[in-house]
Amino acid sequence: MGALLQLSSPALPVGAFSYSQVLESAIDKAIVTDAASAQAWIADSLKLVLGRYEAPVWCRLRAAWDARDLVGFSTWNGEFIASRETRELRAETLQMGYSLRQLLLATGNADIPGGDLCFPAAHACASALWGLSPPLALYGYLYGWLENQVMSALKAVPLGQVAGQKLLLAVRPRISGVVEGAFAIRDEDLSTQAPMLGLLSSQHETQYSRLFRS
Amino acid sequence: MSSIAARPVVIMGRPYAQRRSWRASIRMQVDAPAGRSRLRDCEHSGPLRIQKVLYPQGERLAQLLLLHPPGGIAGGDQLAVELSVEENAHALLTTPGAGKWYKSGGDVARQDVALKVAAGAALEWFPQEAIVFDEAVAEQTLTIDCTADARCCGWDIVVLGRQARNERFMAGRWSQHIEIRRDGRLLWLERSRIQGDDELLKSVVGWNRHHVSGLLWATGFTPDEALIDQCRSSGEADVILGVTALPDGPLLVRVLGSSAEQVREVLSRIWTLLRPPLLGIAAQLPRIWST
Repeated sequence: MGALLQLSSPALPVGAFSYSQVLESAIDKAIVTDAASAQAWIADSLKLVLGRYEAPVWCRLRAAWDARDLVGFSTWNGEFIASRETRELRAETLQMGYSLRQLLLATGNADIPGGDLCFPAAHACASALWGLSPPLALYGYLYGWLENQVMSALKAVPLGQVAGQKLLLAVRPRISGVVEGAFAIRDEDLSTQAPMLGLLSSQHETQYSRLFRS
Repeated sequence: MSSIAARPVVIMGRPYAQRRSWRASIRMQVDAPAGRSRLRDCEHSGPLRIQKVLYPQGERLAQLLLLHPPGGIAGGDQLAVELSVEENAHALLTTPGAGKWYKSGGDVARQDVALKVAAGAALEWFPQEAIVFDEAVAEQTLTIDCTADARCCGWDIVVLGRQARNERFMAGRWSQHIEIRRDGRLLWLERSRIQGDDELLKSVVGWNRHHVSGLLWATGFTPDEALIDQCRSSGEADVILGVTALPDGPLLVRVLGSSAEQVREVLSRIWTLLRPPLLGIAAQLPRIWST
């Protein structure tokens, strides 16, 4: 339980707080304007973006790691990086993956693959090294993501603290379904399709006023 | 021609008792032994062929018109296209009309496209848009393998539902896998899987109620910021446009719109901007598009 809380905490030094994962761009374009539209954005991202690709890829990375299947691990890591279609989204996952690897190395875990590491890959390694069961660790990964999205909305929409807690209460119950789906989905059903997310991420590169790096 | 089955398939809501399922393939190579790009070793089986090889901009560039006489892909059909552009050759491929994925009786329709571009070679892949009919079950793969300094640009334009009939994509499935590699390393990938009436089509992170999605990529050069900015300013009122350049390529343009013409117009404009720095050749759109 302690390991789960530590790995999912915003205090984990991977810099998650500096990324809005396109939410800031959606706010700039008035797609997200208030608590209700923030909830729609975050809930859809969880289900349709993380649920259809990122979470299932996390499961594959963790399974490959547990089986000492380094080829499989490296293939899914490479595919996830290649699927981040914009400069910012790619830089984000590589920076967070790098930071988590540095943390693991600094805490006595020498057995981490070298080269570019995406964040889900680094997280999957960390969760195994810290003895977390895969479903619990993925729940923590998604909860950490959700909390970070809500914190971004608080700063950028902006929303009040109570509105933020209401958002967490509303979206959190959907995480379990995403975790279950992620372990069940077949490779051929994975989908990275999210054109608005990609478009808005590209547009964020030249956004005039920005608090976040993505 | 090799038909694999003769059984009823429903096209456009009407039963075509004699509609056969087709397997068709074409495998071709473009080389440039003496500075002139030429089509050679073109093998085909079934209804897929190169209708014409044109030289609208001199002999270095061979423009190929790929024809699929049935005009659309129905459930049970399997098409395969392989194109290899050899060292220092330059090929542009387009199609005489929009591709169509017909309504299926349940069987999968598939098309696999494999493109290889050798060192010093260039490939422009510009088929016209693909229209996915309601109730189509479509699977497409597009793999692009570049070697060393090979240059490749291309696009993929998908229209979900027949716009002229106000048709929505309410049932069926559209799956597409695109990957771009250089010297075997995966540079970019998109896996798409959309069910009829998918939540993603209405979602603000997905298609946001648009019906036409366009993607353009260009790899094998390092675009400067001024060029990227020019691409960003090439939009139109009803088309949402995003342009990004990944550190090790490709430059990627994504658009969403409600009209295939508008999406093509915006992407053509950007292609026009990219062609001189990428290929050292003036922009000139294939004449077949305006016929």
